[in-house]
Amino acid sequence: MHALRKNSPLRRIVLASAATVSGMVLLLSLKPHSTPETALAVPAPSSSSGAGTSGGSSGGSSASGTRTVTGDTIQTRWGPVQVRITLKGGRLTEVTAVQYPTDNPRDQEINSFALPRLRSEALQAQSANIDTVSGATYTSDGYRQSLQSALDSAGG
Amino acid sequence: MTTVYAPPRRSAPARHSPAGAVLALLWAGAAGVVALWWADTGSVVGAAGRLTGAGRIAGLLCGYACAVLVGLMARVPLLERRIGSDRVARWHAMAGRYTICLLPAHIVLILLGYAAQDRASVWHETVTVVLDYPDMLKATFGTVVLFAVGITSARAARRRLSYEFWYYVHLLTYGAVFLAFFHQLTLGNEFNGHPVATAAWYALYLGVAALVLWFRVLTPVRLNLRHRLRVESVHQEAPDVYSVVVRGRRLHELDARAGQFFRWRFLGQGMGWTSTPYSLSAPPRPEQMRITVKALGGHSAAVSLLRPGTRVWAEGPYGSLTADRQSSPKSLLIAGGVGITPMRALFETLPGEVTLLYRARTAADLALGAELEAIANWRRAKVLYALNGPDGRRPDLTARTLRATVPDLAGHDVYLCGPHGFAREMYDQLRAAGVPDRRIHHESFEL
Repeated sequence: MHALRKNSPLRRIVLASAATVSGMVLLLSLKPHSTPETALAVPAPSSSSGAGTSGGSSGGSSASGTRTVTGDTIQTRWGPVQVRITLKGGRLTEVTAVQYPTDNPRDQEINSFALPRLRSEALQAQSANIDTVSGATYTSDGYRQSLQSALDSAGG
Repeated sequence: MTTVYAPPRRSAPARHSPAGAVLALLWAGAAGVVALWWADTGSVVGAAGRLTGAGRIAGLLCGYACAVLVGLMARVPLLERRIGSDRVARWHAMAGRYTICLLPAHIVLILLGYAAQDRASVWHETVTVVLDYPDMLKATFGTVVLFAVGITSARAARRRLSYEFWYYVHLLTYGAVFLAFFHQLTLGNEFNGHPVATAAWYALYLGVAALVLWFRVLTPVRLNLRHRLRVESVHQEAPDVYSVVVRGRRLHELDARAGQFFRWRFLGQGMGWTSTPYSLSAPPRPEQMRITVKALGGHSAAVSLLRPGTRVWAEGPYGSLTADRQSSPKSLLIAGGVGITPMRALFETLPGEVTLLYRARTAADLALGAELEAIANWRRAKVLYALNGPDGRRPDLTARTLRATVPDLAGHDVYLCGPHGFAREMYDQLRAAGVPDRRIHHESFEL
């Protein structure tokens, strides 16, 4: 492009912006739009034999048939996620997040909306078959895995 | 002022400009930055996912563009001398406009996306992000400065602001980019927990910082300590046109070439604050360099009053309007007004067959006329003058007349220097006369 050829910077910037916007839309639409259950690159429960990892049978049963079971600690990209469940007469009555990422304010903010929703979904589904909360993909996945491990050890 | 120098060398093939390779590298970097996002992102869920995704891409590109912007202005010799200072400055301006568009996009998209994820109001989200997120206060301050730089650089504002004001606001860019750097690493999904990406980002920014430090600070300090430049004399060449001869030590070591320029700062007399580009109006000698300046006002007008002995701070040589661009044994030099300065130097040194076309209003406005005639006699070259008629009529410089005056015009390399309107008009006429684009060599300090 010769400098003396007539060209308007305005036109070029509009073109560049249009190209950028279309590029972004294209890239975004090429990504999957639902969260695949297994495709997430969350490391498997790393060193599940580590301290405090296997909550398995740590549940204390009581006479009324109430059991508390702590699930595995799941390492997600933003930090560990671990849940504790309460079962009453075989029904899931409570899910508490014991560990979740809190390193930066964004995590705290995400958790403040994601954890309550994950809890209510789990109580409703009575299983670990729950949807990912938008914006909290990694936490959701860790939550699901920890919950599943807790249910497994409660059942087994 | 005329001296006979070594006879012209034989014409060598034109050196290939690295512009294409540099541009390809810059675009590849942008693609790499988008690839970072791509590799890091699993899925894009819902409107919130799309908004934050787009915001992240914009943010990454913005961070990359900031590094490129600063790097382009680092006065790297490869860019300044092989691609051309003017062309690199235009790239910088384009990248700047692009950055100023990406920046609000990044901010708005991220805030909307976060607000949608959190089911919070955008206002609440903005306050939280700015006040509570790590490094975001710094980044916010940097953003405000970047916007200020962008606004003062817009054409409409540039016309109303003094060069010095614009320049010093522009210098704040370094601080703004520095302040905005940290949030990219602490909050950027693509860097958090990705040591390779983090290292690459550090390498990009530290590399650019090293270029700036080396070529904008250390190199000029070394040059001026070594060569010790001072004004030797000032001569009037034409009404409002003055030549300044600068004396220094071992100037041949600068390796300055005809057609190149330096950025000059005359220390003292209140002129030390501004550095202005002026072309050498003669090939440099071992102890002397000469510039020729039209007193247009401000800095250039003060040049006529410079006292011998005034200390000079120079940076350069810059510019690519040299014999390297030559691809044919025949050259036509076209000068408009004070655009004669680099043409005068090239007229003496350019190898091969050279013709000079000098456009000025009247014969009295012709600067350096005696020298030009002497060079023309010595190397049996032709000088053509294009002056206004006695009735003030402009000379007829069209494709037709150019072809008639300069036989085989299309086979010439054309070097062009003059006011922007003149240069553009000549460019159109030359193209109409069949001179290929790549043979028209032009450099301008205007963007």
